[in-house]
Amino acid sequence: MSFVIRRLAFYLVAFFVAATANFILPRMMPGNPIDVMFAQQATTLPPEARQALIETFGFASGPLHLQFLDYMKSVFTGNLGYSIRFYPQTVNQVLAYALPWTLLLAGTATILAFCVGSVIGTYAAWRRGGALDAIVTPLSLALQATPAVVIALTALFIFGVALKWLPTGYAFNPSLDPGWTWAFISSTFVHGLMPVFSLMIVFVGGYLVTMRNNMIGQLGEDHVTMGMAKGLSDRRVQFNYAARNALLPSVTSLGLTLGAILGGSLVTEVVFNYPGLGQILYLGIVTRDYPLIQGQLLMTTFATLLANLAVDLLYVLLDPRLRKA
Amino acid sequence: MFETLKVFLRNRKALTGLIIVLVYVAVAVFGPLLLNVDPMDRVGRPHQPPSPDELLGTTRMGRDVFAQVIYGTRTSLAVGFFAGTIIVLIGTFLGIAAGYFGGWFDEVITFFTNVVLVIPQLPLLLVIAAFMGQTSPLVIAIIIGLTSWAWGARVTRSQTLTLRNREYILASELTGERPARMIFVELLPNLLSIIGFNFIGSVTYTIITQATLEFLGLGNPMSVSWGTMLYHAQNTSAITIGAWWEVLVPAVAVAGIGVGLSLLNFGVDEISNPRLRTLGTVAAAVRAQQKLDRQRLAETRA
Repeated sequence: MSFVIRRLAFYLVAFFVAATANFILPRMMPGNPIDVMFAQQATTLPPEARQALIETFGFASGPLHLQFLDYMKSVFTGNLGYSIRFYPQTVNQVLAYALPWTLLLAGTATILAFCVGSVIGTYAAWRRGGALDAIVTPLSLALQATPAVVIALTALFIFGVALKWLPTGYAFNPSLDPGWTWAFISSTFVHGLMPVFSLMIVFVGGYLVTMRNNMIGQLGEDHVTMGMAKGLSDRRVQFNYAARNALLPSVTSLGLTLGAILGGSLVTEVVFNYPGLGQILYLGIVTRDYPLIQGQLLMTTFATLLANLAVDLLYVLLDPRLRKA
Repeated sequence: MFETLKVFLRNRKALTGLIIVLVYVAVAVFGPLLLNVDPMDRVGRPHQPPSPDELLGTTRMGRDVFAQVIYGTRTSLAVGFFAGTIIVLIGTFLGIAAGYFGGWFDEVITFFTNVVLVIPQLPLLLVIAAFMGQTSPLVIAIIIGLTSWAWGARVTRSQTLTLRNREYILASELTGERPARMIFVELLPNLLSIIGFNFIGSVTYTIITQATLEFLGLGNPMSVSWGTMLYHAQNTSAITIGAWWEVLVPAVAVAGIGVGLSLLNFGVDEISNPRLRTLGTVAAAVRAQQKLDRQRLAETRA
């Protein structure tokens, strides 16, 4: 149990550091970000919004440590202020609308990539140097080193523009009303195919190579040799003896790569005009909507830490040694 | 030394990767010198497909895509190597210091490293770049360098810890060697392969990240790099109107260097990790033995 508590404390501090960075960054930059924003959006924002903005950002006059306290209070009470691009919506409202789409996109893609990558990696390591390994491993290395932008743009061009098989943007047909209707769900499915699969291709290489190399490490261990010597079936040695242990580092990397997953999802959303957090962040950057950008960073950090915590708990389940500790 | 080189050249993955990287470096260094077209000049009509005149077509602004990708190679590689150097310097310094000195010093550095490691990178970089306005390639290199050292520091630290418990380190400690000599003469040479991995990985990461940041419009649109090429292509809807060369050329350029660098990394890993190298042979032998056993079993039964 103390393991979980220690991790909890760690994540709390990590979030505090991220929030502090968020506080310091705009103050280190030349000029006053509030003025920069209002220079661009002067006509669309009423003066009381400016005042509200100054307050939520803690830019109100006063010594720095009081500003910091104010800022921390608004962060930990979840009050992230107004969005400028989407005024009069608050940052929370904008993010709450976008979050489910990102979860759908990044979640599906990650689960698919993790399963497909781990299974193929297990087989590639089992017959190391065989036909499957010779094709799949270099291919994964290539995919791993290819930016998400490139994969998404290529998919968009081939399936969206040249072949015209799939819609090129948005999460569903805009003429439909969101709801649990068959037309809406099937439209969401069709619109999601290309983003999900191109994002999956971005990640699958990494999981495959990690699993393959861990498996190869495991196959050299004594317990695997013992399993073989006992005359257990290949399948049993492969999955119950080697793959089960080889999966542990993959699960850890699942938590650590969550930042990268959100990054990849961000780019994919921009390319496919998918209305998730990444697309929102992109619009925020284009219009210099600082409250939105900062809220996005805080929420992404929070989500990453939460996922890491989930991975820690999963780890306790997978690794019996931690349960006893 | 010569022996190492021979092992290296015999590994097909490492060799292919090395060749790809060397070609890119040659293009980055000599390409612009051999070219008489300015990448920012209007050389033809907009969106011209590849032809003998404009080898890889033109952009919306009528700029030569071939000239742009050559100059872009120079920018992207320079940013990659520069940021890679910063990452390796910080990561190695912190990793060795934490692993060697230990104690509260180690605790603080490790804690800080882990914190940096769990904060999502790309969103953080986006926020920094957004606050700085349109950032030049040099600034992008610096911010990537200053935020991406955590992984290297962690790996270097754990390797330093295992080295620290070796007997030769104890022996040189007993003979009263100074810390500086311990670090530079005893530890650093044994960490070279880790540092090499860190460097190659960081260069790959930087090149990809730079392209991504610039694609999202956070770079300086007047600079010529693969990322800004993708940004302009996206902004002028090159894909929708079928001007595939504007996207394909920088995309292939980024993917190519990424593949080259990661093949190099993987090949070096195979060479330095004997288990990855020899296990194939061991597994094949085990399988052959099993097959033989089964045959014998079948024969005795028959």
